[in-house]
Amino acid sequence: MNWAETIVESLKKSNTSLIAYVPDISIDQVTSLIEADSYFHLVSASREEEAIGIAVGSYAVGRNSAVFMQSSGFGNSINAIASLCIPARVPIPIFINLRGGVGEFNIAQVAMGRTTRPILDLLGLVHFTLEDENRLDTLLDGALKLCHANRQPVAICLTQMLHGGKLA
Amino acid sequence: MRRFEATQLVVKQVGNSPIVSNLGPTTDELWHSGHRDRNFYTYGSMGLCSSIALGMALSTSERVIALDGDGSLLMNLGSIATIGREQPKNLIVVVWDNEQWGQTGHQPSHTAMGTDLSQVAQSCSINHSMTVDNLEDLTSALTTAMTEDGPWFIVAKIEEAEYMPVAPIEPELTVYRMRESFSS
Repeated sequence: MNWAETIVESLKKSNTSLIAYVPDISIDQVTSLIEADSYFHLVSASREEEAIGIAVGSYAVGRNSAVFMQSSGFGNSINAIASLCIPARVPIPIFINLRGGVGEFNIAQVAMGRTTRPILDLLGLVHFTLEDENRLDTLLDGALKLCHANRQPVAICLTQMLHGGKLA
Repeated sequence: MRRFEATQLVVKQVGNSPIVSNLGPTTDELWHSGHRDRNFYTYGSMGLCSSIALGMALSTSERVIALDGDGSLLMNLGSIATIGREQPKNLIVVVWDNEQWGQTGHQPSHTAMGTDLSQVAQSCSINHSMTVDNLEDLTSALTTAMTEDGPWFIVAKIEEAEYMPVAPIEPELTVYRMRESFSS
């Protein structure tokens, strides 16, 4: 299994079947698999904070959920995470394509990309960064288990080193 | 019509269906209408009331009701487009439209200046979109929405009244109780 297939399997193992997202060219490698798999309901949101709200609603009625976004979209969703997920203790895995790292071509992506993890730290949220496929299944299964045990969001940052995403 | 009497009417009409309430007076008045474990009170994340309700509607076959507000919905108009895209048959969005940001000093909102939220919903493929301005019409709209396929989008014009005491909301318990009610 490659990294994208491993994420899909990990979501299934944690009974996570509603996925809300805002499209991104690199995470499309995962979300296109999710879209083609009838196990999942993939919801395309117009903005990342909306995706957070949709995921929270799904969890509240008993269906586990996850969110996919880019680091710029994480900036859009900070208040949704801070004023909804954290006080209500909603365990949503948030997969973030982390821009602003090696090979970045767009100056506009650098500041938000590089401050994503410090902001997660300030919010007190656990996060992991995936650079390669080494022991990826163990890491993902463990991250999702921790997310639900702690009943708080966990962020999983996906890097260009992992997905080989398109560079200009 | 006043929001509190309209809220009481909604609670009476929707049985045990989950209700998501917008932050501030909408949540307070839902709580003062009588606590239910299936009330999802929000007191933050302004703009996400209808998004939370959409997530619920996509994950349960039961009817789900959002009690949103004009100011909040204006913050997240994209949610209307996503509801139109998903077409959840079991979602009923009620918008308490007082044409103002009530809690921040009664500044006029865009709906006081020509924005018609039911037309926005109509344009987003939510065919069952309407505006009501009295309890009788709200009752009639809800009765139909509870029995016929949606999504439904009901803009209810309301007059502001004196605020009720802040409800003693615990967000963690709100989610816990709601999820527990779906666990059996």
